[in-house]
Amino acid sequence: MLKELKELWAYRELLWTMVEREIRIRYKNSFLGFLWSLINPLVTVAVMTFVFTKILRNDTPSFSAYVLAAYLPFTAFQFALLDSSQSVLGSLPIIRKVYFPREIMPLASVISNFIHFLLSLGVFFLFLLGVYLLNPGQLPFPKTLVMLPLLLVFHFALTLGFALIVSALNTFYEDVKYILSISLYLLFFLCPVMYFSEQVAHAKGLPDWGFTLFMLNPVALMCTLYRQVMLDPPQIRTHSEILPNLALEPWLIGLGALISFLTLVGGYAFFNRMKWKFVERP
Amino acid sequence: MSVAISIRELRKEFVLSHSGAGGIKSALLWWRARRLERLEVLCGVSAEIQAGESVALIGRNGAGKSTLLSLLAKVYKPTSGQIEVHGRVAPLLELGAGFHPDLSGAENVLFNAVILGLTRKQTMERMESIVQFAELESHIDAPVRTYSSGMLARLGFAIAVHVDADILIVDEVLAVGDYAFEQKCYARIQEFRDKGGTILFVSHNPEAVRRVADRCIWLQNGLVAADGGVEEVLAAYYSADHS
Repeated sequence: MLKELKELWAYRELLWTMVEREIRIRYKNSFLGFLWSLINPLVTVAVMTFVFTKILRNDTPSFSAYVLAAYLPFTAFQFALLDSSQSVLGSLPIIRKVYFPREIMPLASVISNFIHFLLSLGVFFLFLLGVYLLNPGQLPFPKTLVMLPLLLVFHFALTLGFALIVSALNTFYEDVKYILSISLYLLFFLCPVMYFSEQVAHAKGLPDWGFTLFMLNPVALMCTLYRQVMLDPPQIRTHSEILPNLALEPWLIGLGALISFLTLVGGYAFFNRMKWKFVERP
Repeated sequence: MSVAISIRELRKEFVLSHSGAGGIKSALLWWRARRLERLEVLCGVSAEIQAGESVALIGRNGAGKSTLLSLLAKVYKPTSGQIEVHGRVAPLLELGAGFHPDLSGAENVLFNAVILGLTRKQTMERMESIVQFAELESHIDAPVRTYSSGMLARLGFAIAVHVDADILIVDEVLAVGDYAFEQKCYARIQEFRDKGGTILFVSHNPEAVRRVADRCIWLQNGLVAADGGVEEVLAAYYSADHS
């Protein structure tokens, strides 16, 4: 693996060029361009907030901020995987002609999606700042924000690990992209985006191991951590009861880091085993 | 003279599939019992090419010519045997294999030149010269989906000859553009050779072979049938082919 990493470093200029190309291509023929990266989550979160606060009566203050804090990383994960699943397959004509490290393609998909995510995160913080300035005292930037870089690394490694696996598999079996889009759709319901992890922890009739299982899903863990790191603990009010908050526990971050690191190493090893067969795809 | 390419007992097998792209279903159901048919495309090819030589590969369709070029470009891994390549290889991309239709000519030049091993800075310095060579000054900022196939081929050729490769690999794409551009390509290839560059190309056109090559290798059923001077190998190939 060390040899491959060295080679990847030697090809870094190609990587940057490919990332730049992906970003250019995405909004090449659209008038609003990057704004679409913002419009999509904002509209979705507005609808979700309406449904959950008005119809399902979740009276948590600043509900939409909490939804957005988990929805942005979730969609970043989702789009990066969907993009990278096509990355190798879509470049087969050029792979058949020139040699360069094949992992550059999923890597470029993940990086360009991550750049979009960082930009949308910037807009999210502007939104928080606006709320804070308009209503002093509401949604202050918490101290836990110093952990954000760590969380970003964990998020990136997790995404890249899965992206490497998915891009390699989809090159041979195009069923993978359908399986992937269904899985991501279902995963959305298993991640605390529209609801809070606290609600799972205190769900009546759900055994303790159910919550453990829920948190072992690295994407659910990631969404939970993003909320805990970027926002003050929410006052979750449903059916006139207030749920106690889950603490931001260091071992949870450790677990997340471990899972994502293992996914990345495993994914890269898998990709390296498969990559010479891409061009010989029967 | 130094050796540019050294090939020893090179073999390459491919797995054939009759069901098109493999499906998950068949992979899961038959992963133990699946019958893999193998096709040996190269069955022990050896050759040594000196730096500065210009070598033509000839042979019938399916003889293994393109596979050999791909192996030299490191696109495939050999089944067995060795390839040693000294110097940087630039494959000539046919009809803009790496071009993205929605990006402009200039953006595609940057991407393709970096893939072929230039740095971004070097590419920017050569951009003007590449565009001039391809005769695309007025179209370079238009998306390449608006280009004709002649324009694409010219741009592809212009990039390949500007990346300072030591070894140029050409797979039957010399017949690009009109007569005038073809002459320019031959002139540029001559220039490349004068500077000591090595060329390896596949062609079915005896005129092109006579014009560019000073050595000819005839591949037949994955083996070297003849290797030597252009005229003698061409003569042997055509007499065998027509008998």
